[in-house]
Amino acid sequence: MQPPPDRDPVQAYLASVGTALPGDPVDNAALARVLGVNEEWIDLFIGTRTRHFARDLASGEVRWSLADLCARAGARAIAAARIDPAEIGFVVLGTATPDHLMPATVNHIADQLGLDQVPTYQLQSGCAGAVQALGLGRTLIAGEGHRAGLVIGGDVCSKHLDLDRDLAGAAPSDLVNYVLFGDGAGAAVLTAEPVGEAVALRRVLNRFTGLGREPGQVIDWFGLADRYDDRQAVREDYKAIEEFVPVMAVEILWELLEDLDWSAEELDYLLPPQLSGRMTRRIHELLDVPGATEVSCVADTGNNGNALPFLQLERLLGQMSCGEKALAVAVESSKWIKAGFALEKM
Amino acid sequence: MQTVDEFARLVREELGIPLADEDIAADLDRIPEWDSLYLLKLVTALERSTGRPLPVGRVLEARSLEEIYRLAVER
Repeated sequence: MQPPPDRDPVQAYLASVGTALPGDPVDNAALARVLGVNEEWIDLFIGTRTRHFARDLASGEVRWSLADLCARAGARAIAAARIDPAEIGFVVLGTATPDHLMPATVNHIADQLGLDQVPTYQLQSGCAGAVQALGLGRTLIAGEGHRAGLVIGGDVCSKHLDLDRDLAGAAPSDLVNYVLFGDGAGAAVLTAEPVGEAVALRRVLNRFTGLGREPGQVIDWFGLADRYDDRQAVREDYKAIEEFVPVMAVEILWELLEDLDWSAEELDYLLPPQLSGRMTRRIHELLDVPGATEVSCVADTGNNGNALPFLQLERLLGQMSCGEKALAVAVESSKWIKAGFALEKM
Repeated sequence: MQTVDEFARLVREELGIPLADEDIAADLDRIPEWDSLYLLKLVTALERSTGRPLPVGRVLEARSLEEIYRLAVER
């Protein structure tokens, strides 16, 4: 068995966060009207009040690409960090919904931000991608000596919001995606020294735990040879997600606390997994850290995948004081990835 | 849709789950294929069939398909 990775490598710091949500929020009444489903069901069962779509709900027109949203979030993060864009030493993007398979969307983002001659990385990933991006950013700062870098997470789920489709025949595992998801992007500037918000990234957890397990979520993609196949583009095993995600979230919380040698009582803020307003409420109750303030966003933003941890971070940074500690938990149910990170404000 | 038999047929056709007659009165947990997501499909199908909105809060509390049927047909 391999020895565990270094528990406390060179620090990286969060200097700033920027986010971008497309257009006006779409409430449940508007969504229910367009989809022909029951509004109260979305309120009660999903518990998400609003979400944002890059695609215009009335015309279906694509108003923003993923690169557009990520570049906007990135520019806001760079501006908030008050650093010269030339100081950005790398760009990392985590997404499940790239604009193209090639070029990688991260390169379009760099282009829009006016960055050149920098290493770029794109992580193909679901909800854990933002955490993976933070982890890779931290490694690049610690291992390659970069002074600053931009890490981004974003998703445009409305690519699958086919409004012309008759949903009467849709499978439940298909239909639920129409009411769960939204679009958005978030970004953070990571630095080697405590500048800006000066929040130390103490630990990043990213572990595949899906050996022999069926995926909880699948997003398919189609090429010229199979574009007319009758396959479901997005599938959710909601039953498995409801069963396993809360349990995994509790395991992640306690594993991170143990690794950090922190007690639950020391935690000032808890950022729980953001599945839907209702599921997140349930998981937060189960995590049972009454002394920590919950920082959630999904009920207002919808589940926009890799943007979520950054949207939570933005809400966190607005209230975090010196010496306070925060812990984030994320679960990617696609192939069952445990993820999370720990923060401490300097 | 008026009778419980018509309701059972609608559940079978819309949800695509094999349903024995005794499953209608059984606790939802005892229907192996049952998944909370089926409620959305069922609510949508029932509203389309009856032409009236369903009290979803009470549907979510229902413990059997029979209870949901009663909510759909009661006026």
